[in-house]
Amino acid sequence: MAFYTGLFDALGLRGWCDADAQDGPMTMAQLLARSQGGGEVTVPWWNPPFPSLDALHEACNAIPRTRDLTSGLEQLFLDVRDGLRVVLDPLTQPLSWLLDGALWLFVSSPWWILIPLIMALCYVVSRSVSLILAVAASILLLAFIDHYDYAIQTLSIIFVCTALCVVFGIPIGIAMSKSNRFQRGMLPVLDMLQTLPSFVYLIPLIFLFSVTESKLYGIAIILYAIVPVIRLTDLGIRLVDKDVIEAANAFGMSGRQKLFQVEIPLALPNIMAGVNQTIMMALAMVVIASLVSAPGLGVLVLRGIRNLELGVGLVAGLGIVILAVILDRVSKAALARINTSHSTG
Amino acid sequence: MTMTAAASLATTADPDAETSARATPKISIRNLYKIFGETPVEALGHVRQGVGKVELLERFNHVLGLSDINVDIARGQITVIMGLSGSGKSTLIRHLNRLIDPTAGEVRVDDEDILTYGEQALRRLRQKQMSMVFQKFALLPHRTVMQNAGLSLHVGGEGQDVMEKEARRWLDRVGLKGYEQHYPHQLSGGMQQRVGIARALTSNSEIMLMDEAFSALDPLIRTDMQDLLLELQQELHKTIVFITHDLDEALKLADHLVILKDGYVVQQGEPQGILLNPADPYIEDFVSDINRARVLRVRSVMAPGDITRADLAGEIDHNATLEDVIAASGGETTHSYRVMKEGRPVGVLRMADLVKALVPRAASGQGPRTGAG
Ligand SMILES: Nc1ncnc2c1ncn2[C@@H]1O[C@H](COP(=O)(O)OP(=O)(O)OP(=O)(O)O)[C@@H](O)[C@H]1O
Ligand SMILES: [Mg+2]
Repeated sequence: MAFYTGLFDALGLRGWCDADAQDGPMTMAQLLARSQGGGEVTVPWWNPPFPSLDALHEACNAIPRTRDLTSGLEQLFLDVRDGLRVVLDPLTQPLSWLLDGALWLFVSSPWWILIPLIMALCYVVSRSVSLILAVAASILLLAFIDHYDYAIQTLSIIFVCTALCVVFGIPIGIAMSKSNRFQRGMLPVLDMLQTLPSFVYLIPLIFLFSVTESKLYGIAIILYAIVPVIRLTDLGIRLVDKDVIEAANAFGMSGRQKLFQVEIPLALPNIMAGVNQTIMMALAMVVIASLVSAPGLGVLVLRGIRNLELGVGLVAGLGIVILAVILDRVSKAALARINTSHSTG
Repeated sequence: MTMTAAASLATTADPDAETSARATPKISIRNLYKIFGETPVEALGHVRQGVGKVELLERFNHVLGLSDINVDIARGQITVIMGLSGSGKSTLIRHLNRLIDPTAGEVRVDDEDILTYGEQALRRLRQKQMSMVFQKFALLPHRTVMQNAGLSLHVGGEGQDVMEKEARRWLDRVGLKGYEQHYPHQLSGGMQQRVGIARALTSNSEIMLMDEAFSALDPLIRTDMQDLLLELQQELHKTIVFITHDLDEALKLADHLVILKDGYVVQQGEPQGILLNPADPYIEDFVSDINRARVLRVRSVMAPGDITRADLAGEIDHNATLEDVIAASGGETTHSYRVMKEGRPVGVLRMADLVKALVPRAASGQGPRTGAG
């Protein structure tokens, strides 16, 4: 006899409750109760169970259980999944190709070509010799302890995902800065993306795509890391000196000329600060994404946790820290270079 | 003097004389209204029924920016718009290149209504016909001085070499030779504004709009820049609209002076005329502090007397300032002088009139003889 039975009887709903009574599988609580002696547990009147779905279900079969809710959601998701996949699969397929292609390219290039290339790239963006020496030392250290391949995989994923974040994030940020309406619509989405715990991202994605596809982690990383570049592009363009914009208008610039010759160049320090944050967030996510088969240093960390291989986990963690430091330093150096050439009068 | 008398003075004495003397005005502004707020057109109805700026803000929550402005801007002259902060000067000048669109009224440039212009035509107007100099310079901080100076040509799609040649020429002209490859933040304020002027000149436009162009500069540099502007103007004869809240600057530069207050024109005309016949206590206040001897000119104070009189103490140019005359007379107040214009006598200046003109009208109680224009 459940606690709330009397309530439904009193309301005269008994008929409705038992109409199509077909007891579903039992809940864990019921199983436990049964195994503990089967008999009715008497509930003291001063401590009624919270009238939750499960408690009410016990008294009235017509009321669904919480488990029905979650499984219903799951069913709904599975039902729309096929439809969604028809659209999303081809759309996101290039992402898989990009990620796989970059991985293949990075991993199969000989180290004595790739390391100088990375150093050259660092020099181009930062123009700092001491910095590239530090970068080279870090990579050589990682290679020396046989973590080169893992580090390069991580780098290649970050590289592709950051590039895509920039490609999509900057136009979105520009659109937001041009339209207050669009900005109002986007802000809650960005807030949500930024506050959702990173694991939660993975759940709907696992349903949508198979775990063996690289686009799964690609999407997770991009969704997580794109927020700062969008926000700071929007902010940067809105912060451009109104007087300068007025001058651009007064000399007859078109909207396009204004955007490319005035607004973006002047917003560049902010945009680059966004790119720096995006890189760091991509790195954070690429480690978590090893849960869904993203290769790289994250895999070693995961192995460390799963198999309690403390040393493996720690060394991989150290590798991630080294990568984080060099990525941060290089992008900050690029930012500083832009700032000095932009210092406003 | 009553307001109606002042208004009639403003409308009859000046525009008539000026328009008949010269060709049609370069820019003419007709019945221009600008109201800031949610429903400006509705608010315009109230303004037309006589609601003032303060009341409009309190009762209807709209800001009256400009109210029934009628100004003709003569070709090849410097028109100065003066008024206290918030009187609507910046709002007015931004209507001339439509950085702001009016609530009602007309702006004609070369007798074309620019309010009918589409985006394309408007951009062409801003690139080729009008250029602007800003109070805060508004240079592009990421471009060199040369690129800044050549902005309008660059925007208009002109080639790099043409742009550089013109930019270099005008940078030289404003005294910035050798700074072509510097960035704006490496220059002082005065030099930055020279770049601003070079940028306006490089566009080769006939009209230059200058919004408090010299207000951010310190007094010495400011005088330099005023001299530079006058020097350039002697050579180039641009149509210049210059905004200032400084009367000395206005009197130094203006061929035509427009005084704004709370969004309407209180008085406009030749500066000498305004000085001698302020239409309103607001303007009397404005003009009471300046050195009249240095600003007033003989032509404004002379009388068409008997130019053949024998007792004249000497000849004096019609454009001389009263200060010059006092210096020449050695302080003697009983003399009279023959006033000469381009070698011909045009009138007589009595020292007694001169002395009277030195006293602001409000204090003297009655206006001295008018002789504006
Ligand atoms: N975008 C706007 N929205 C609302 N009110 C405005 C706007 N622009 C100007 N105004 C109002 O219009 C009036 C005139 O402003 P304007 O900037 O033209 O004055 P100004 O004469 O140039 O003053 P200053 O000497 O301080 O530059 C002011 O009362 C101002 O508050
Ligand atoms: Mg202003």
